[in-house]
Amino acid sequence: MSEKVLLVDDEKDFLDIMSERMQARGMTVKTADSADKALAMLENESFDAIVMDFKMPGMDGIQALKNIKTQKPELQIILLTGYATVEKTVEAMKIGATDLLEKPADLEALAAKIKQAKAEKMLLVEKQTEEKIKDILQRFGG
Amino acid sequence: MIPLHRLKPAFWDLPDTAGSHSGLNLKRKWKLIVLVTAILSLSPLVIMTLVDFSLTRRTIETEANTGMRTSLNTIAAMMSASLAEKPMVTGAKTLWDKTFPHLNTGMHNDLFLMDNTGRLLTPSYYYEAFGSRTILDAGLFTGPDGIVHIQAPDGTPLLAGYARVTHTPLILVQLRQADWLRDLWLKPRLKLLWFLCASIGFILLSIMGMATFLVGRIHTSERRRIEALHHEEHANRLASIGRLASGVAHEINNPLDIINQKTGLIIDLLTLGKQARPDQRLLPLAEDVLEAVKRCGTITRQLLDFARHMEPCVEQVDMEEVISQVLALLETDARDRGITIHVPPVPEIPEFACDRSSLVQIFLNLGENAITAMGKNGTLTIGVFHEKTDLVTITVSDTGKGISPEDLPKIFEPFYTSRTDRWGAGLGLAITYGLIREMGGDIRVKSVMGKGTRFTLTLPVKAARQSTSDGSLQLPGADMPVQSTSVSDDTRGDLYAKP
Repeated sequence: MSEKVLLVDDEKDFLDIMSERMQARGMTVKTADSADKALAMLENESFDAIVMDFKMPGMDGIQALKNIKTQKPELQIILLTGYATVEKTVEAMKIGATDLLEKPADLEALAAKIKQAKAEKMLLVEKQTEEKIKDILQRFGG
Repeated sequence: MIPLHRLKPAFWDLPDTAGSHSGLNLKRKWKLIVLVTAILSLSPLVIMTLVDFSLTRRTIETEANTGMRTSLNTIAAMMSASLAEKPMVTGAKTLWDKTFPHLNTGMHNDLFLMDNTGRLLTPSYYYEAFGSRTILDAGLFTGPDGIVHIQAPDGTPLLAGYARVTHTPLILVQLRQADWLRDLWLKPRLKLLWFLCASIGFILLSIMGMATFLVGRIHTSERRRIEALHHEEHANRLASIGRLASGVAHEINNPLDIINQKTGLIIDLLTLGKQARPDQRLLPLAEDVLEAVKRCGTITRQLLDFARHMEPCVEQVDMEEVISQVLALLETDARDRGITIHVPPVPEIPEFACDRSSLVQIFLNLGENAITAMGKNGTLTIGVFHEKTDLVTITVSDTGKGISPEDLPKIFEPFYTSRTDRWGAGLGLAITYGLIREMGGDIRVKSVMGKGTRFTLTLPVKAARQSTSDGSLQLPGADMPVQSTSVSDDTRGDLYAKP
């Protein structure tokens, strides 16, 4: 089953090429050219991973990350950045980013990270489902 | 014997050019301080001495004159009493011979009798001939007694005291050389004058010493202030370069990523078989583009690294990486000048920690200096040695023109420069010295004229940043002797030998 990815970047060129290349690798790709649009799309659709630029006009990557994690904590978010500092990486990881990749990014590395993110999401969803079932059983049992 | 040049203060030879810190005109200030203080402290002394001289002279003169008049009047009164019965000239002579034979008639005390026509009745030292000739003008002696200035026949200026013998035509006259009084007050005063001159000398020396100390302090603090300003300016410039580098790298990374992805797409299209018959050269070309993009990515990352390290902080530093970063900055200039940069294998020092930006700056300053010193063609050698566990030794050697033995002790002083272009502010080595001292290290230099120069840095493996309390750099001063050696030709082997 292919990975469903949401690509968020303010560079339209980047979105077009990346989506084409990722699709060529068997992924299902949707694009958004701003964090606000991405948040709107997330309300109606589910994704395995979000690949998002760190620095965008309007809502930046960190703010968008916070908002998405509040809305859908199980979502796996990979951030792309022009320059990764330790502080920036730590901050992003604390908020809940899955990974942080430096530009110019290697697509193969990104694809591997997306696959890994999907697996993590599946695990997380399974865990959540198990907890829910346990909760229901406990309620009925109790 | 202390050589005179060692007594000369450091600010004395500074050129008084506007714009430099020596524009403060320290030499002029020194002269002004010495002049004003000398005038203020010495003028009361000199004025009091002159007044004392004058008063003493007048007092002694008055006392002596009064004494002379009193003595003459007493003798005249005695003679008058004796001659009351027979006021005769011959009687007076007889009386003189009988009563006053003991009275001297000499150069300093010429006492004699004359009558009111000017004839001498008794012998005189200055007027030897006596008898019937009128020698002295009796008109000079107008009052009953007094003191007048006259001239002896031989031209000697004389002081003549006289007293008339009452009821007789006789006048008692005493002659003394006019300057006999001067001897009386001047000789003891001359002894005091020597003491005064010695005191003035001591006072002047103290004033000069104090002025030298004060102006020296002004010079030192001003030098430190300007140095701190330059250091701050330098740091600001570096920070600006850092911000610029950071901005440029960020902005370049985005289009670089587009090139990367588009080239990746081309490769995808070629390799994923969507093109029926692709040109065989396309794939390697696209891969070359990707390789170039990777290199660009490395450069922007290095730029950002460089920018990040503008803030001083002690951290683990990979010496080889720092040297390669410095070489990347130096190699263009070196290549243009035909200079070879030689770096022997750098030993691994995993525990080496220091402020990376300072280390980069030290290497850059020394490297740039070496390249400038060589001009065209030559070899710059950067060696790193780790022979003692707690010390790292770094040598930066060039095959340039060398530094003269006269200039060698001055090279770490701020504002010393042999360069005439606008970048040669003379601060490079001073800043380098300060940075090394901050790290707790030391720097030595050996140079042979026409052969080259070698700087040897010794840094502790665990360097601590020891900033001065005012944030300024520590600079070479009298308390921090700079170790510098000029090497003669016969010891040239030592120049390039491992320390």
